[in-house]
Amino acid sequence: MHFYLEKRLNTSTWGRIAVLTASIILVLFISLFFFLAAGIEPFPAYKIIGEEVFLTTYGWQDLLVKMTPLMLTGLAVALAAQMRLWNIGAEGQFHMGTFALTWFALEFDGRLPGVILIALMLLMAMIGGGLWGSIPGYLKAKFGVNDIITSLLLNYVAVAWLDHLLFGDWRDPNTNNFPITKEFSVAAQLPTFGNTPVHAGIILAFVFVLIIAWILWKTRLGFQIRLTGENPDAARYSGVNIRMVTILVFAASGAIAGIAGFSEVTGIHYRLQQNISIGYGYTGIIVAWLARNHPLGIILSAFFMSIVFVSAEVLQIEYGLPISMVYLYQGIILFTVLGSEIFTEYRLRISRSLVRTGTGNQNI
Amino acid sequence: MEFFIQVLVATVGMGTPLLFATLGGVISERAGVINLGMEGLMLVGALVAFVVMLNTDSYIYAVIAATIVSGIVSMLHGFVSLMLRANQIASGLALTFFGTGLSGLFGDKLTGETVEPLSRIPIPVLNSIPVVGPMLFNQDILVYFSYLCVILTWFLLFKTRLGLNIRSMGEAPEVCDSLGLSVIGYRFFAVVGGGMLIGIGGAYFPLALTPYWVDGITAGRGWIAVALVIFAFWHPVKALGGAYLFGIALAMELRLQILGLDISPYFLKMLPYLLTILVLTLITIRYKKLGVKVMPAALGEVFFRGEKN
Repeated sequence: MHFYLEKRLNTSTWGRIAVLTASIILVLFISLFFFLAAGIEPFPAYKIIGEEVFLTTYGWQDLLVKMTPLMLTGLAVALAAQMRLWNIGAEGQFHMGTFALTWFALEFDGRLPGVILIALMLLMAMIGGGLWGSIPGYLKAKFGVNDIITSLLLNYVAVAWLDHLLFGDWRDPNTNNFPITKEFSVAAQLPTFGNTPVHAGIILAFVFVLIIAWILWKTRLGFQIRLTGENPDAARYSGVNIRMVTILVFAASGAIAGIAGFSEVTGIHYRLQQNISIGYGYTGIIVAWLARNHPLGIILSAFFMSIVFVSAEVLQIEYGLPISMVYLYQGIILFTVLGSEIFTEYRLRISRSLVRTGTGNQNI
Repeated sequence: MEFFIQVLVATVGMGTPLLFATLGGVISERAGVINLGMEGLMLVGALVAFVVMLNTDSYIYAVIAATIVSGIVSMLHGFVSLMLRANQIASGLALTFFGTGLSGLFGDKLTGETVEPLSRIPIPVLNSIPVVGPMLFNQDILVYFSYLCVILTWFLLFKTRLGLNIRSMGEAPEVCDSLGLSVIGYRFFAVVGGGMLIGIGGAYFPLALTPYWVDGITAGRGWIAVALVIFAFWHPVKALGGAYLFGIALAMELRLQILGLDISPYFLKMLPYLLTILVLTLITIRYKKLGVKVMPAALGEVFFRGEKN
C-alpha cells in the first residue's frame, strides 16, 4: 500500500464551501482556548457575540459599516493578485488617500459647492492612494524589486507622515491637543441611510466591485491582467506590455484602497484622526484570499471579515479585550483556510504498488 | 568623536535584533521556505521574554522561553506550508497576523510594566581597542551570543552535512527526494530553527532596547529583516554587515532626536523604512547586473512529490 497526494485538476464549488464551513467551525473551536487563556468563559462569550452582532439592529448596521472599507481594501488586494502581484500596502495607500483628501478639504471646504467638493475629495483620495501604490508597482516593473516588501514598508512611512501632520500643522487647536483635524463641513460629508450610521460609502464599494469585475472580464486590459497572472510568458509573447500593466494595476489597486480611506473619513469621522484605519488595509489581504481574488466573492468575504471586526468590538466592550485581537483571529482564519485547501486542491490516492498510475500528478 | 562612538555603540544594539532575525530568515530561506511571519514571530518572542522576565526576573529563562515558544509558533507556518502544502507567502502573512494579535491580546495588560534591561559586560583587553572596543566588546550578553550565532549558522550551513542537505532543499528538492532525503523534514527543521532565532531577536527588544511593554514593540523590524535576508545574499556573515548598516540608521534616528535637531521626529521614523526600500532596489539592480543566481532556486516553491517526473 502506498499513499500519495495528487493535485486536483478542478475543484468543486461545493467542496470549497464544505471546507470553508469546516474551517469556520475549527476557528470557533480554536478561539475557545484563547478565551480560556484570556480568562473568559467561552460559551457565554459566544452567546453574547451572537446576540449583539446578529440579533440587534445596531449589530447589523455595524456589519455594513465595517464591511464597506473591507470590500474596497479587499478589492484593491485582489486586483493586484489577479496579476500575481502582492499589494500588502493597502494600509498605507488607505492612509495616503485620507491625506490627499484631507488636504483638499482643509484648503477648499466652504469655497466649493457641495457636490463638486466631495467629488473632488474622492478624486484626491484616489490620486493619493494611487500614487502611493504606484511606487512599489514602478519599482517592481522597472527593476524587479520585491513588491511584498516595498509595499509593506511604505505603510509605516505613510502612517508616520500622517502622524507628522496630525501632531503638527493639521492639529485642530480647539480640541485639547488631540491629534485630530477640525471637522469638515456638512458639504464634505457622505449622506447616511436615514438615521443609521450606514453611509453612501457602501454604494461606492459595490459600484467599484462591479467596475473592477467588468474591467477584468469584459475589457482587453482585464484580459491582459488575467493572462499575465496565469502565464507571464504567454502574455509577453502575445504583446502585453507587462511593465506598463504592472504599474497601472498597482496604481489602480492603490486608488481603490484610497477610496476606502475616503469612505471612512467622509462617511464616519468627518475629519482625519489617528488610527483612522484599524487594520482595514491588512485585512484586505485576507478578504481577497478568501474570495480567491474574485471581485464578486469579495462581497461575501468582506461581510465575513466584518463579522470578525464587530465581534471583536463586542469583546472589547463586554470584556475589555484589545481590538488588536482582530489580528489574532485573522491569523487563525487564514491558517485554517490555507491548511484546509489541501482538501480542495489535492486528493489522496492509494495504490498497491510504488508505481504511480494517476494522471493528475504528472505534467501539471 | 564622542557622538560618533555613541552612535556606533547604539548601532550594534539596534542591529542585534535584526541580526538574529536575519540569521533565522537565512536558515529558513536556504531550505527553500520564505518566512514572511518574521514580524509576528519577533512580537511573540518579545511578549514571551517580557512576561517571563516579569515573573521570574531571569534573563536566561526569558530567552529560553522566547526561543521555545517562537519555535512552536513557527511550526504553524511549517505545518501549513509544508505538510499541508499551502502558499508560503500567505502562510507567512498569517503568521504575522497571528503573532501581532497574540502579542496585542496578551500584552494589553502589560502596558507600562518595566523590567531591568540587560547590563553591559565589557570584555577585558578587547574592549580597550579604540572605537571597535566600545562598539563590539562592551555590550550585553545577547550581543555576544549573536556573534556566536553568526559563526554557528555559517558553520552549520557551509561546513556540516546537515547544512549541505538544508541548502540542497532550497536548490533542488526533487533531487534530494530521489536520494531518499525527507524534503519536508529538513525544511520543517529549518523553519523551526530559524523561527527560534527570530524569536530571540524579538526577545532583545524588551530585554535590552525598550525595557517596558508597548503594543507593536518591534515596529516593523521583522519586515526590515525580510529585506535584509535578500541584502545579505542569503549568507550569515553578510547578514552581520547588513544588520549593522540598518543599525546605524536606527541609531542615528535616536541620537539626532537627542541632539534636538530641527527635524520632525516622524521624518526620522521614516528613515529606516525608506533606507530599506532604497537598499533593496539597489541590491536588486546589482543582482541583475551580476547575472548570477544567488537566490535559492527552489525558494517559495511548494514541494510536490512526483510533480516533475
